[in-house]
Amino acid sequence: MVRSLFNILSGRNTRQGLWGLPLLVALFISLWLTVETTQFATAENLFNLVAQAMPLIIAAIGQLVVVLIGGLDLSVGSVISFTTAVLALDQPAVVLIPAVFVLAALIGLINGLAITRFNVHPIIATLSTQYIVLGITRILRPVSGGTVPEIVIDAVSGSFLGVPYPVFWGIVVILAAWKLLYGSRYGLHLFAIGGGIASGAESAARNFGVSDRRNIILAYVVCSCFAAVAGVFLAGRIVSGDPNVGLLFELDTVTAVALGGTQLSGSIGSLHGTVIGALVMALLANGMNLANVSPFVQTAIKGGILLAVVGLQSRKKMGL
Amino acid sequence: MAAVLANPIARRLLRIPPSYFVFLVLLATLWIARPNMLNLNIMGIFVRQIVPLGILVLGQLVVMRVKSIDLSGGGIILLINYFISSGTFPGASMPFFVVLALATGLVIGLFNGFMIGSRRVSAVIVTLAVSIILVGLVQFLSSGNPPGDVPKLFNDLYNTKFLSVPTPVLFWVLLTASVWLLLSRTVFGRYVASVGENAEAAHFSGVPVQRTVILAHTLAGLIAAIAALVQTGSIAVGSVRVGLDLPILAVAATILGGVVFGRGDGGVWGPFFGALCFALLFVVMTVLGIDEPGKLIAQGVIILGAAIFYGVRVRNP
Repeated sequence: MVRSLFNILSGRNTRQGLWGLPLLVALFISLWLTVETTQFATAENLFNLVAQAMPLIIAAIGQLVVVLIGGLDLSVGSVISFTTAVLALDQPAVVLIPAVFVLAALIGLINGLAITRFNVHPIIATLSTQYIVLGITRILRPVSGGTVPEIVIDAVSGSFLGVPYPVFWGIVVILAAWKLLYGSRYGLHLFAIGGGIASGAESAARNFGVSDRRNIILAYVVCSCFAAVAGVFLAGRIVSGDPNVGLLFELDTVTAVALGGTQLSGSIGSLHGTVIGALVMALLANGMNLANVSPFVQTAIKGGILLAVVGLQSRKKMGL
Repeated sequence: MAAVLANPIARRLLRIPPSYFVFLVLLATLWIARPNMLNLNIMGIFVRQIVPLGILVLGQLVVMRVKSIDLSGGGIILLINYFISSGTFPGASMPFFVVLALATGLVIGLFNGFMIGSRRVSAVIVTLAVSIILVGLVQFLSSGNPPGDVPKLFNDLYNTKFLSVPTPVLFWVLLTASVWLLLSRTVFGRYVASVGENAEAAHFSGVPVQRTVILAHTLAGLIAAIAALVQTGSIAVGSVRVGLDLPILAVAATILGGVVFGRGDGGVWGPFFGALCFALLFVVMTVLGIDEPGKLIAQGVIILGAAIFYGVRVRNP
């Protein structure tokens, strides 16, 4: 009992990574905010917090899938902006919503193919698609504007039995991701491929009959699709298309994933850790807003957190 | 496709950095579209604009040869621009600013190197995080508004010419030549090449891998500071947005020049032409009336295209 508690807090001997510590940090921040401010511990602010955290939680889960196979997707932010821009195209929702996911899957497919078939480094491949998608987004919608379909707005802003819809979005997305990572053969394969890549034996999974190429491509497709879900959610919140809404989102997702104890070298990590990591980020943003911290300083602080949590991870590989 | 790639002539062609081909294609496009623009004076102005990028590329190529990357150049340029233009150091002379800039670049580069070489943190994460911290800090200090003016001497120096070649361009060529000498003629250059080729083998052959990586990043920080000085001279005012897209363009130019993580086939002059390609690309795009989004797409396509070009080649050695 004591030993397993120690393992959770230290992240030793575990495939789930260090996720107990960020949970403590989250509890500590919440406690501090409850004591310091009167606005924090109200149902309204907490539901608001969930709604604010939701896009990051969704996109970070997508990022987690890619990080587990030792990759990184820097096109997440662009895909989110792109999704809101497409949704504001003034077409019926029946066309737009499927179109958004087809396009996102296509972007993921391009990433995956470039990485597996053409041997491009994940960072370079996703960096270039980030620029291409951002360019297309700016052509579709140079400045924010337009309106998204009614159904998207309703799906985000309503409430059921006093519980706002964003809470249900969270439950559905987390359950789906849980099934994908822990309840399917695909999830097991992800951990296997990542384990091989993390220990420098890239062909280890292939030698055991796991098709690494196909699974890696699929991971990037899944990541883009999660980003698209986050984009749909954000579009419903801001009601219009915005080419800059996803700016720096890729870094926020990486920070949330790393904060949740997931090793960026692959295979070690957990879904609950990532959700906690994203919640810590949202709590910090909420707390800094309540404390009137300048948005520029908030960006700098986020960068500092990213540097700190990634700096604490140990890995063998040097460089990229 | 494999059969084509196995052909000895095709393999010989694949060894040449893509930047030379792209440069020729862009030159031809410009020659067809606007033949009157191809004279020394106009070209000098266009090439002069690209000098900060060209200098940043030199640092980028050194770190990319040790299988690392440096995306913190944008933050360094912004910070140094802020130092010079904000009036934080009233009445300071030009040598003071130069020393201050170089020291800033050195410290940030050393920090990057320490985190990447010693702490083994992913280079992308470290340098991006450093960049957003610096950008956030500068924007906070200047509260989002551009700071004041730059001492006049910076811009005057930038506008000088030597034998009808703009001085910044000459400076860039000289700097490129010295980095070329550093990489091809010194022990450090050999270390860089061996670490990039195979860090483990280099370690067991007695190459100080960690020190080489740290030194490469320190050098990149220093070079970014030089780029910041030239950039500040070129815009002549303070800005909160200057140079933010330069690091990524530098990565693109370096890959285009045939230097991909760990492989230095393009040497120093491949990336040099990679930067020149971007000078021509911006001219061609402006001539053809393509604006900002189109440029973003072109950047992305060029990076991806050049990386695929190399990926295919590595796969079929």
